[in-house]
Amino acid sequence: MTAPATAERPTSRWARAFRRVPWVVWVFLLVPLAVEAFWVFWPAMNSFSLSFTRWNGVGAAEPVGLGNYQDLMSDPTFQTALRNNVIWVIGFGGLSVVIGLALAVLLNRPGRGIGLYRAAIYLPMVFSLAVTGLFWRVLYSPDGLVNFSLDSLGLGALERQWLADPDVALYAVLVAAVWRQVGYIMVLYLAGLKGVDPALEEAAAMDGANRWQRFTRIVMPQLRSVNAVVFAVTVIDSLRTFDIVWAMTRGGPYNSTHLLSTYMFEQGFTLVNLGYGSAIAVVIFALAIVFIISYLVRSIRQEDAS
Amino acid sequence: MNTTTRTSPVSRRGFLLGASALGTSGLLAGCLGSEEAPEESGTEQTGTDETSSEPSGPVTLQNSQSDPAPREALETLIGDYPGDAEINTVAIEQFRAQLSTYLTSANPPDVLTWYAGSVARDYAAEGLLLDVSDMWEGEGACANFSDALRELSSAEDGSQIFVPTNYYWWSIFYKKSAFEEWGVSAPETWEDFLALCEDLKGRGVNPLANGIGSTPWMASGWFDYLNLRINGAQYHRELLAGEHAFTDPEVEAVLEEYTKLIPYFDPDMASYSYQEAVTPMVQNESAMYLIGAFVTQFFPEDQRDDLDFFSVPPINPDVPSAEEAPTDGYFAASGTDNPEGTKELLAYLASAESQQTFIEISGSSNLPTHPDVDTSGFSPLVQKGIELLNSTEEITQFFNRDSSDALQATADDALTRFLADPSDIPGILEGWQAAAERVWDQ
Repeated sequence: MTAPATAERPTSRWARAFRRVPWVVWVFLLVPLAVEAFWVFWPAMNSFSLSFTRWNGVGAAEPVGLGNYQDLMSDPTFQTALRNNVIWVIGFGGLSVVIGLALAVLLNRPGRGIGLYRAAIYLPMVFSLAVTGLFWRVLYSPDGLVNFSLDSLGLGALERQWLADPDVALYAVLVAAVWRQVGYIMVLYLAGLKGVDPALEEAAAMDGANRWQRFTRIVMPQLRSVNAVVFAVTVIDSLRTFDIVWAMTRGGPYNSTHLLSTYMFEQGFTLVNLGYGSAIAVVIFALAIVFIISYLVRSIRQEDAS
Repeated sequence: MNTTTRTSPVSRRGFLLGASALGTSGLLAGCLGSEEAPEESGTEQTGTDETSSEPSGPVTLQNSQSDPAPREALETLIGDYPGDAEINTVAIEQFRAQLSTYLTSANPPDVLTWYAGSVARDYAAEGLLLDVSDMWEGEGACANFSDALRELSSAEDGSQIFVPTNYYWWSIFYKKSAFEEWGVSAPETWEDFLALCEDLKGRGVNPLANGIGSTPWMASGWFDYLNLRINGAQYHRELLAGEHAFTDPEVEAVLEEYTKLIPYFDPDMASYSYQEAVTPMVQNESAMYLIGAFVTQFFPEDQRDDLDFFSVPPINPDVPSAEEAPTDGYFAASGTDNPEGTKELLAYLASAESQQTFIEISGSSNLPTHPDVDTSGFSPLVQKGIELLNSTEEITQFFNRDSSDALQATADDALTRFLADPSDIPGILEGWQAAAERVWDQ
């Protein structure tokens, strides 16, 4: 008698729990789902099917199978964009995290005017990326402040057309993007450092640990949860970077600073190759999903372990 | 007690349900409404159509001329239109991206500003443009326009689908006062031109201004002209149509000639836009600028009368003379539900008075397409421009207008790459051809 009962109980309990949920809750769940499905999932699925076609927005889309993806493989600009995206994720992520963390540690102490410094470093974050781009374009212009400063420091040999020289243009844009991101990362770490127990650090100091050891062995492990957030924010921000590159170089000079996002925009919306643009969008989506899934898997494992 | 506990959740549920239903329907309606907003006038029009045979809704003009002066000029014209019309101005980049959407939508804007030539022809081949051939015959508004304009406004099947209203010329612009100061004069031959460049460079002046930074298409100006001067307009058109390859020895010869000019360009040209490149010229740091006549608006007002131009000197004596003259105007959507009103508006915009008003208010050095426009009041520079185009044997437009924006992107890449490092011309041309083939295959 007990055996069938236990076999049946979970389903009936589920069913009862199901019925016990007030119908208003169902409305609250299903209506947003319907809206989301119609306005987000459906267009997203459309771009998947578009990526297998050739379409300029007029008339019927011509199915080409994997043709767009084959073209991508042999498209030199796509390869440049892919390489630039790798440089961007590493450079943008690495630099902004290292500098942001360093600033947070430096400014995480009471002192006169410390708030002013923090505010000044966070200030660029207030501007939109497009404004940042325009601002740096002026700095980088041939007779702009960057070249002028180099000249007055006697470093005239280093002067160049920062945004017109394909060897340095991407890095020039990268500097501008990092300049803006650093304040954000700093604030995240400052918040994290507030949660670090000072007693532990004092105890370590008593045991003879030097500053570097205290930082790497005592402080960093306590920042683990902040690190996870910073990692996610940085990867997502660097994959979706678009506006600052578009504002500063539009992918030029001769397509040397395209990221996947700017190349997708140019193909999809400037040249109206909707199929080809969608194929690039699918590649971006695949890359992002790989990062996000590996991040989720890692964080779930960590939760299970702890 | 019991009753209150029972009713209150019910009433709250009811309230929330009502609120959420209202909220979502409002959201949906809001989204739909914002999508349809630009076409509202069209729906009104169909509504009135049912009650009277005379279509009385406003005719819409979708306008891409978003620069302040041309925009004001068109708004004035639409304001003065005796019939019922309204104007909707869209920034040009967005306009370009959405043009096909406008034309294919169920309620398209009736009249749209755009370019004559291959772009219009492509849309006509899709059946998206209104046939305006009757405007080009008998008493029609465009009947007396030149044959070159008629040819330019014709679809592949020979019908006319475009109403050109103004055009401008490309040439090498310079400042008369600066040339006087340097004791030089406009060159007659290609050798003279190169010698003049060398002379100016020796004086510490950048002989040639250009801005290929955020406007890399400017690099095509010299490409077009060198191709016209070396291989002729016929070859140029065929090349852009995909009938020749960019790896041809003819194109290689063009780039080799182009290489001679590279030392004479402003060394900062890769950082400038075409507007910014004017500044060194205003300050007499650059001398000459191959550009369209629209450049006059970027000079300070007191320098505009000082401007003069000369045509790119002939290189190959065996090819007919040719100039670039991009033509702007209007086409209409074949999906319009008021073809008569649409053509009336087109005829109004094409009339001599409207063209004169547009050119005066927009402040550029554009030329009218209507032969009856009184040009005697126009500046000597414009008179000279009219003379130039009247005396040339062949007229082309510009790289993108003679081909497509997609092919322009391949030229931007190849030519800016070439200007930065001209050492590997065959390699650059191979890359260009490969990119162009991808465009032609699309």
